[in-house]
Amino acid sequence: MKLSVYSLKNILFQGQALLLNCKTVTGEITILDNHETLITVLSAGVIKVVGEDKKEQFFPITSGFLEVKPNNEVRCIVEQ
Amino acid sequence: MESPQNIKKRLKSVDNINKITKAMEMVVATKMRKSQEIALASRPYAFAALDFLATISGLEQKLPELFAVRKVKKVLFVLVSSDKGLAGAFNSSVFRKFELHMKQDERHPNEEKLYVAVGEKSFNYLTKKGLKVLQKFTSVGDFTTPEQVHPLTDFVVEGYLSKKWDRVIVVSTHFRSALKQEPHVRRVLPIDFEHIKETVQQIIPERGKFADLIKEQEISFIPDKSKLKEYTIEPAPEKVLQKLAEHLFFIQVYHLILEANASEHSARRMAMKTASDNASDLGEKLNLQYNKSRQSKITTEIAEISAGAEALS
Repeated sequence: MKLSVYSLKNILFQGQALLLNCKTVTGEITILDNHETLITVLSAGVIKVVGEDKKEQFFPITSGFLEVKPNNEVRCIVEQ
Repeated sequence: MESPQNIKKRLKSVDNINKITKAMEMVVATKMRKSQEIALASRPYAFAALDFLATISGLEQKLPELFAVRKVKKVLFVLVSSDKGLAGAFNSSVFRKFELHMKQDERHPNEEKLYVAVGEKSFNYLTKKGLKVLQKFTSVGDFTTPEQVHPLTDFVVEGYLSKKWDRVIVVSTHFRSALKQEPHVRRVLPIDFEHIKETVQQIIPERGKFADLIKEQEISFIPDKSKLKEYTIEPAPEKVLQKLAEHLFFIQVYHLILEANASEHSARRMAMKTASDNASDLGEKLNLQYNKSRQSKITTEIAEISAGAEALS
């Protein structure tokens, strides 16, 4: 899936990813390829991103929003 | 004519001023570049947030309180200026714009006016005018961070929701290019989609290094309703919208302050440049004067010596 994670200061992640794991206000979720369309609010925690090269990346956040778009596209705006 | 010693003294002090202002110019030029970069770095974020809003706003439901236009009884003015001086006309142009706006605003004498100062200079200005300042937000340093803006936006939103004011107007500087800054008056609350979009699009200056970054990114607020139904929204849509509204307001204020930051630095750079130019002009003139006065002293001395020699022979 195509994933982009933006913060106010910089672009944290942009490109193809295999997995995105984050905490939302209703519980922890993991997003894989072809997830259903979703809009949700993120709560404080750590976002885990697994890139195409299977490398894991972690970003601590305080809050944010997550949107899963129709064409296998995921977008996060987060605050650190 | 002034004595050469005196002129020399003045020449030295002018030289020192030149050195100082030149150094300040160099320092502030890098600060300006950096503050522009900070503003640009948050652009993808701002656009994503706007896009988000566009998607959610298509849902048929009541908009949160921050969007509601109420009957205006009290207006909050936020005046954005710098903490420090030596920035040319930067602060005074904001204050002039503010005064102009107040004059036009006299048509609504029933509205109560409240003030918030951002930056030491605007606090001084407002208190000097005898206006009551609710709160001041100062010492943000050279570059504003999101953490520093939160107290301000929290204060404004909290007051708006508890009906302490019904409209919020920000007077700040719009960064058009490194050479041109303009004071602007903007309404930030109640939130208006178009206003936010405008602010976000103005992040890129019209001219200069970053100007060619402009790419027309059209965001429409008429989303595709058939697609929208497929979205799962967690928790309830109105809660998400409420959060997003607060967030967008924060982004807008953050950008206004970043822009004011960049403007402050470029105004200061210009002021320092003119100061050092003036100092070199003055230095040249003084140097000429010094040489003249030295020469005339030599001439008188020679005249005296030759007169003395003539008297002896």
